[in-house]
Amino acid sequence: MSTAPGPFEQVYDKHAVAIYRFIYARVGNHPDAEDLTAGVFVRAVEQLDTGREPGQVAAWLYRVAQNAIADHWRAFYRLPLVGADHVAPGWEPVDEGGRAPAEPDDRAGIRVQALLRRLPDHYRRVLELRFLERMSVAETAHSMGISSGNARVLQYRALRRAALLGDPTDG
Amino acid sequence: MVDDERRMTDAANRFDGYLEALLGDSRPSPEAVDDNDEAGMARMAAELAASGRPASDASPDPAFIEQLRLRMRQADAGVTAIRRPPPVRDQPQPDGTRRWRLSRRQLLQAGLGAATGVAVGVIGASLRSEAQRRAGMGEDDQPLVAGEGFWTQVARLDEVPPGSALRFSTAAFDGFVVNDGGTVRALSSVCTHMGCTLHFRPDWQDLRCPCHDASFDLAGRLANGRVTWRAQGAYPGDARAYPIELPDLVRPRVKVEDEAVWVWTAQA
Repeated sequence: MSTAPGPFEQVYDKHAVAIYRFIYARVGNHPDAEDLTAGVFVRAVEQLDTGREPGQVAAWLYRVAQNAIADHWRAFYRLPLVGADHVAPGWEPVDEGGRAPAEPDDRAGIRVQALLRRLPDHYRRVLELRFLERMSVAETAHSMGISSGNARVLQYRALRRAALLGDPTDG
Repeated sequence: MVDDERRMTDAANRFDGYLEALLGDSRPSPEAVDDNDEAGMARMAAELAASGRPASDASPDPAFIEQLRLRMRQADAGVTAIRRPPPVRDQPQPDGTRRWRLSRRQLLQAGLGAATGVAVGVIGASLRSEAQRRAGMGEDDQPLVAGEGFWTQVARLDEVPPGSALRFSTAAFDGFVVNDGGTVRALSSVCTHMGCTLHFRPDWQDLRCPCHDASFDLAGRLANGRVTWRAQGAYPGDARAYPIELPDLVRPRVKVEDEAVWVWTAQA
């Protein structure tokens, strides 16, 4: 019981939380983040050579995580699923040899901030209230002096604009 | 013009349901997304939701981290065992599996199993047999019925029209309520291979494993294995048969009462 951690456990201890946060920042909810994280490490057990140098191990894990995220979102797109490699434009799995992002945790957040700044005021406001302040639709509507129905329409339009402006594809 | 406005209002209301699930940190369903534009919006919403949470809320559940660590330890203890697929069974048995959230006691038991070098394939298998033993696995429809258990309402009947499936969680069990052409069943959402979480594919009417592409039909049986291929020629959408036979998904007892679906689950 008191033996030193084996190679997989060492890799896991070093990267699990960071990988989880990386995934969570992109799927936005814990149940999905748990499933995808587990999938990454199940695959690691099957395929990862823990003898690789540490940088390569990290790069491998992030690459697998990014592919897992791409697969996750693929289920949201109405695509003919002709083959496992068919994904929406901009969602190609990362190539072999891809590198781990330097600051993977922060990138999604920074991109969101930059994106919000580019939106018209009332679009930015509704998204800030709903997602950053975590207000309900009723509270958001009250705060903006509009009806709840209008707040829903506004958040819908704002999200659509934001999605068109910033394709959140990870490089 | 009026039609356009109504359409927009309807879409906005429907999509708000998706956002409520996301912001409530439950699992939002791809089914609520209507087209590719909305898929992009869902991705944007996910990033917004994540960035709106304080860092502490973005951290994994320690119980989840601990559970997955035990799997890594298991892999370290016997890499060859974990790589070997489970034995083919001619007559798949209903099986009891559990998802990540296990009690401390179960974690300890699993850890002990690893420490004593028990040659189980994966941790899911050891927990499965453990759950089986304690639950006194019985007949087809009562795989999880132990001495202690209770009925839990998991869905309204009108939420699962024929051909649909709905995810549910109880304290002890994660699964789907499925409506298989009028027959309502509950099925575990845990793949019987390595414990990954299945997702429902309406077009295929199956539960699909994201890890190795096993498909289970709405009765909980492996649907794209070699046996099926031999019988049917192929499985839609797949290039080849799933290479190994797997046990059926756990099927807890179900009743429909007061327009609601109830599932019998063991005490957590």
